[in-house]
Amino acid sequence: MNRFLSKDFLSGLMFIAFGLVALYFGHHLAVGTSVRMGPGYVPRMLSYILLGLGGLICVVALYSGGEIVERPKWKPITMVTIGIIAFALLLERTGMLPALVALVLISSLGGEEFNLWEVIGNIVVLAILCIIVFKVGLGMNISVIEGVW
Amino acid sequence: MELLNNLALGLTVAVTLQNLFYAFVGCMVGTLIGVLPGIGPVATIAMLLPITFHLPPTASLIMLAGIYYGAQYGGSTTSILVNLPGEASSVVTCLDGYQMARKGRAGAALSISALGSFFAGTVGTIIIVVFAEPLTRMAQKFGPADYCSLMALGLVAAVVLASGSVMKAIAMVFLGLLFGLVGTDVNTGAQRFTFDVPELSDGIDFAPIAMGLFGIAEIVVNLERRMERTGAIKVTSLWPTREEFRRSVPAVLRGTALGSILGVLPGGGPTLGAFSAYTLEKKLSKHPEQFGKGAVEGVASPESANNAAAQTSFIPMLTLGIPSNAVMALMVGAMIIQGIQPGPEVMTKKPDLFWGMIASMWIGNLMLVIINLPMIGMWVKLLTVPYRFLAPAILLFCAIGAYSLQNSTFHVLQVAMFGVLGYIFVRLGCEGAPFLLGLVLGPQMEEYFRRAMLLSRGDPMVFLERPISLGLLITTALLLILMALPNIKKARQEAFQEEET
Repeated sequence: MNRFLSKDFLSGLMFIAFGLVALYFGHHLAVGTSVRMGPGYVPRMLSYILLGLGGLICVVALYSGGEIVERPKWKPITMVTIGIIAFALLLERTGMLPALVALVLISSLGGEEFNLWEVIGNIVVLAILCIIVFKVGLGMNISVIEGVW
Repeated sequence: MELLNNLALGLTVAVTLQNLFYAFVGCMVGTLIGVLPGIGPVATIAMLLPITFHLPPTASLIMLAGIYYGAQYGGSTTSILVNLPGEASSVVTCLDGYQMARKGRAGAALSISALGSFFAGTVGTIIIVVFAEPLTRMAQKFGPADYCSLMALGLVAAVVLASGSVMKAIAMVFLGLLFGLVGTDVNTGAQRFTFDVPELSDGIDFAPIAMGLFGIAEIVVNLERRMERTGAIKVTSLWPTREEFRRSVPAVLRGTALGSILGVLPGGGPTLGAFSAYTLEKKLSKHPEQFGKGAVEGVASPESANNAAAQTSFIPMLTLGIPSNAVMALMVGAMIIQGIQPGPEVMTKKPDLFWGMIASMWIGNLMLVIINLPMIGMWVKLLTVPYRFLAPAILLFCAIGAYSLQNSTFHVLQVAMFGVLGYIFVRLGCEGAPFLLGLVLGPQMEEYFRRAMLLSRGDPMVFLERPISLGLLITTALLLILMALPNIKKARQEAFQEEET
């Protein structure tokens, strides 16, 4: 049973999945002939290669075993991803400062140690730095707080 | 004579106040990230790509190059003083550098590694100058089929030399090529894999992918493991003794030679150079038992090699437009952002940019010696900044940088998406570098492939009939066959295991 959880077997599955997705979403693209290739020729070719390689990797992995995939820790990856998404959603609606606070606060929750005062200090330093570098220095067209500055 | 003229042109470009300033910024940032563990040159350059959009082309490339070779200098500092490699290429420096430091020779180790690096950087720059012209002239004779084969060779060689599992790495290249196809087809105008998202019709932007795959994924992995910190050793005198000096000179020469050669190879680069140089030095030494206990050769040779390799790895990128590692792929991306198509035309059409960048590398190396040696105390202090402060800062710069590409939050979301994908890659042991190389070369390769097939009226034999193309393809095939041979496979696995431990 463990062999199905090896890094190699799972990555083989991933390549097969990408191949299938590309085939599915590329099926309407004209393949054309090898003289006049349509937009679908090369994508189709790459999809088949990925399917083949993925299959091969899976078979070899089942045959030879290999390293078992580590149990992922969910907290860091989830918090970091949520932090960036929050930043993206807030940036244009509320401005750079609230987005910055959200990103730093949420992503700090992903670490092992969390100390509110440290995070607040970090936010203050980063906010000043970002305003100096991006707003004043590079003159980027972002408002610090939407509608205010 | 022409060489000197070119160099003179390069120097006049490089010493303008603006370019000197950006070379300095690049070297400072490079040293900084070299000192800080947990963030490497790939992530940093990816993060700064959007900012280079606001700079003139020459200045931006000078700055990015400075980050790359500056990181090699900075990485050695932490290896020697804290036994913590700031960069992968400085891992071997820990072995003898830290032992030297424990014996009270930290200053000597630092100066030898800085001076060795400077010497290697100078030689590397000269090698680029000498080889740039002939290689470029050769590349101008290439037809579409030859180019396609050259890219295939570059991709395969990069995979073979630079990563663990060959099959997975090759699959990653193809996956990268596939992602490179997203957008409007140049020949027909058809939308491919754009899912009706208008932002995707120009193709997936390169910077958010690189930030996600290398920046975000790296941060998450670092957050998962607890970073341990040990106290830094105090530096007293920077002067090496005469004995140490005498022993390091030949080691520096050998390291420089080996590093220069390995840097040019696709998939080569600083890390490979440093590891090979250390092994070579240990084999040649009359006292191999001293290695690992503070042998000065064990610092001098790999440190010179990683810097020489960092310089010469620019050669394939500058002359042929073929990146040999992830950093070079990002440099190609930076050029494309500036509207420059990397390849043999860069030297003839933009000589000031080409030679200016090369000359600035030498100036940058000189700056690095100054930045590193007298200011060593400041860099060591930086090591005490805990990672939990650093991680949100890096995330923030990635997010703002991605937004500033086109003032669109779509790119920020893209960073998040590719961060997750990059994390999956790390967990499954799939390397990001081959993916990035495929992604960068994908659109060009498809273009050359279709043009070659059109010219040959659909006959794939064209790739075997042209002598240049045939030679390149035979080399590619040989490389792949070599990898499958049991002996080499085993030796290769051992080499990579050594790297990991």
